Amino acid sequence: MDLFSGEFTGYARQMLYGGLVTIQLFLSGFSLALVCGTAVGIVSLSRNAVVQGAYRVYLSIITGVPSLLIIFLIYYGGGAMLARVFGHSRSFDVTPFSAGVASLTIVYSVYIAELVRGAVRNLPRGQFEAAAALAIRPWAAWLYIIIPQLVRLALPGLINIWLIVLKDTPLVSLAGLNELVGTAKIAAGATKKPFLFFITASLFFILFSAVTLRLSALLERRFARGIAEVKA
Amino acid sequence: MSGLPIDPHLAWVNLPAMGHGLLINIIMTFLTLGIGLFTSLLVTLARMSKNRVISAVAGLYVVFFRGVPLLILLYLVYYGLGQIEGVRKGPLWLIFGSAFSCAIICLVLNHTAFMVEVVRGALEAVPVGLIEASRALGISPRHVFFRIRLPLAMRYGLKAYQNEVVMFAKGTAVVGTITVVDLTAVANGVFEETYDPFTPILTAAALYWVFVNTVRIGFYRLDQHLNRHLITDEMQRRSVVVPKKAETSRPSPVAIGIAIPAVRERVL
Repeated sequence: MDLFSGEFTGYARQMLYGGLVTIQLFLSGFSLALVCGTAVGIVSLSRNAVVQGAYRVYLSIITGVPSLLIIFLIYYGGGAMLARVFGHSRSFDVTPFSAGVASLTIVYSVYIAELVRGAVRNLPRGQFEAAAALAIRPWAAWLYIIIPQLVRLALPGLINIWLIVLKDTPLVSLAGLNELVGTAKIAAGATKKPFLFFITASLFFILFSAVTLRLSALLERRFARGIAEVKA
Repeated sequence: MSGLPIDPHLAWVNLPAMGHGLLINIIMTFLTLGIGLFTSLLVTLARMSKNRVISAVAGLYVVFFRGVPLLILLYLVYYGLGQIEGVRKGPLWLIFGSAFSCAIICLVLNHTAFMVEVVRGALEAVPVGLIEASRALGISPRHVFFRIRLPLAMRYGLKAYQNEVVMFAKGTAVVGTITVVDLTAVANGVFEETYDPFTPILTAAALYWVFVNTVRIGFYRLDQHLNRHLITDEMQRRSVVVPKKAETSRPSPVAIGIAIPAVRERVL
């Protein structure tokens, strides 16, 4: 196959589009997981036995089951689940993309919640006591005092999860989403040039991670301002 | 409104096939772990080598295989290498012709890359003074490494290793994409026959859950065994100094020099 033939440029355009789908899926899944995970993490700190029990079960299921199975469960069964909740009168069509976003959110909320719980535990108790002593309402105390400090503590772990979520997005292609890896597979099968397309896809992931790691170093420095560095 | 519609009969009928699928996952996991122990030690030593070229090559290996999703790696090896004439005709086809061995190769490549940081962190967590003391006692470098540094590093790195093993065991769920009949592939097959969206996937999930938690319990036991001296120490101290309201989560005795994130050691 000629590298500049129409067939090739066609597949190149599809790969580009697939890359965009991957980025969309990744960003929406990660940001939803970040919001839900933070909320779950904070709520799970409650002493209420029901909340504690529910969180334990959630944590155990998600950390014990591969994310691929969760993706399949939501893709195959999501429509039936929604129909059960909202009544059978309406029919629900679960697209691979929405199934992917939902499963990434459900899975990685737990990991982010664990991270938030750890960060809260590492925060000096004096911060909570001082906020209470100053009669700052709990809501405001969390929003303006606790969470900004959590960011610094949770950031390294968050970057970890960021990269894991990125590498989990190709799994959604197994539910039929034509994102980067799914497209690469189709193109490789059609053109008999597997190395070209798969290596391109790999480089996308490696470059994306490299760029994030650079940015994350900046972010870490930004959130650690005002904290003296410990000299080893 | 009942719970999820699970068909117990369907689950029961497919249980043997699913069990066989799970067995494939278990074999793959432990085979890779066994091979991975050697390869990861090798690559870690190369990474820590004073020779810059060797260290750079190992570093490149780590960056590539940590960055690439396992799925692409599987496609690359299974669909890619088969396209090369030399591989298909030569004796290597014995290895690359079978989906199972392709999957093992990919899993080992992936697992080793993640293990390098774990092993390195653990080796570097061993106090330098201890190694200096051993040298001063005239113990040969080889013995210092195998008898003193490595056994201690194993204890320090156990938690990180557990994270990696659990994530990796769950990662084996994707091998079905290259025609290995593993648990997920069996569940998918049942779904395609019956269009029952819940029963096969939930059964597979339950089996996986049991597997992963068995691994967790195994690690917990191993941790207790390796650190038995530390644990008794800790418990005595706790009972004397803090008689009440002790933190329920035991501050891990292995957390000496290495940070153990709650989630997973997998960072690029």
